[in-house]
Amino acid sequence: MPTATVSTLPINAAGSSKSEAIPVLRIDSVRKSFDKLEAIRNVSLDVTENEFVSLLGPSGCGKSTLLMMVAGLIHPSGGEISINGSPVTGPRPEIGVVFQQPVLLPWRTVLDNVLFPIELLKLRRADYEAAAMELLAMAKIDDFAHHLPRQLSGGMRQRASICRALIHKPRILLMDEPFSALDAITRDEMGVELLRIWQANRKTVVFVTHSIREAAFLSDRVLVMGRRPATIIEEVKIDLPRPRQLSMMESEPFNQYVRRLRKSIEASHA
Amino acid sequence: MLKWMRKSLADLAWPVGISLLLLVLWEVAVRKLGIRSIILPPPSEIMVAIWDRRELLLAHLWPSLYLTILGFVLSVIGGILVAVVITYSSTLRRGFYPIIVVSQVVPKISIAPLFIVWFGTGTMSSLLLAVLIAFFPMTINSALGFQSIDEDIHRMARTFMGSRWQIFWKIRMPNALPYIFSGMKISITLAIIGVIVSEFVASQEGIGYLIKLAGGLLDTPLMMAAIAVLSISGLALYGLIALAEQRSVYWQTSSDIGGNAGG
Repeated sequence: MPTATVSTLPINAAGSSKSEAIPVLRIDSVRKSFDKLEAIRNVSLDVTENEFVSLLGPSGCGKSTLLMMVAGLIHPSGGEISINGSPVTGPRPEIGVVFQQPVLLPWRTVLDNVLFPIELLKLRRADYEAAAMELLAMAKIDDFAHHLPRQLSGGMRQRASICRALIHKPRILLMDEPFSALDAITRDEMGVELLRIWQANRKTVVFVTHSIREAAFLSDRVLVMGRRPATIIEEVKIDLPRPRQLSMMESEPFNQYVRRLRKSIEASHA
Repeated sequence: MLKWMRKSLADLAWPVGISLLLLVLWEVAVRKLGIRSIILPPPSEIMVAIWDRRELLLAHLWPSLYLTILGFVLSVIGGILVAVVITYSSTLRRGFYPIIVVSQVVPKISIAPLFIVWFGTGTMSSLLLAVLIAFFPMTINSALGFQSIDEDIHRMARTFMGSRWQIFWKIRMPNALPYIFSGMKISITLAIIGVIVSEFVASQEGIGYLIKLAGGLLDTPLMMAAIAVLSISGLALYGLIALAEQRSVYWQTSSDIGGNAGG
């Protein structure tokens, strides 16, 4: 039971020196049932600072539910989720979320959409405008800052929603199948873009996907989840060099990881 | 802006052209067939009547317009407030929403004589009838607008710690705006009907009264002039709302807006 040692440590501000020892995010024996349906059974997971972790599993296996519990929107039926040592009881400002759909507000310009969390968190908009433009520039959509979402392509909208999730400088970025609504080519490009943005402003990322290649390409660590009730079946460390380019997807080491992940998923079906 | 105006002018060209053509046909037909103007006056005679009796028409137009606009504004405010209550209280929604919907079956015009028994002849009855008719579409449309927000948008706002108050003003309200405008477009025409009908039944002034009076005197040109003035006023009010809609609901294309209207 390592939790006892964690709570005794002084962990307030972003103490990066201790980042190896203290998980930014701790999921401890979490269960979730909806009425009589058991969705998640006993999931435990520690994520360290600046780590990119993927939850990989078939659709409807409960990985999105797990993510929404981390976001504080759903309460676990048992177990505990804590961020920096303090238990999650509701939405928190240290978290940024990217959803499957961009969910931009159609009446706001791209820039105003990116600044939306700042308004909700009652922070001073003026302090964040420059940062928002910087993020948009990094996502290569700064030319569209004053356009409405409907004037943007699907990929550009999702980039804007990533900028929105990052604007209030969260420590943890949660991504719920963010590229699954995009076409395959855009999707690969978005993966590269995401890694570039992540490289530039390091964050802890928890990425939910049902794409094996996407998980292997993006992550430091992939957690394979089985069908309902969901549990973590296997943990695979992806030891591939960064920065990663699309060409890596043809390399033999990459494909070995893909095969291994696929085998693990297939085993869970049997 | 200019481009938009040119486009709407081009859209107007056809209906305006066809209307003019129909007016010309009407004029020619009445003259050729020798129809007496007590039955059907030609457009030219109606226009002359509008000009000659302009003071009489205006004197009766103002009270009607005043009551229409007042009734409309009350309906809009009341409708939106009731919609907010319905949106946030599930008890009231389950209790009252079905009643509101079912009460639509009652032809509200038939209540006009009852209003006169209760509130007497005069402005109060007219105003109340206008509100009674115009209120429901406003409520139902606004309630639909407040409730039709995307579940994902709601979740997004909650993850960024949006409060109920923020979610109402920053999400539900703008989301409901197109619905509120379609409600307003229905309500304004219904408010006019409410006022005119109650003026038919019992009033000493107003365009409805004038139409009835002219009918009694068999002064068909005056009657048609009054109808024409009323229609033009109604069109102008509707146009103002449509214009406000285009300005406020800038994020939807004009085809989206057209698709929302109904009733």
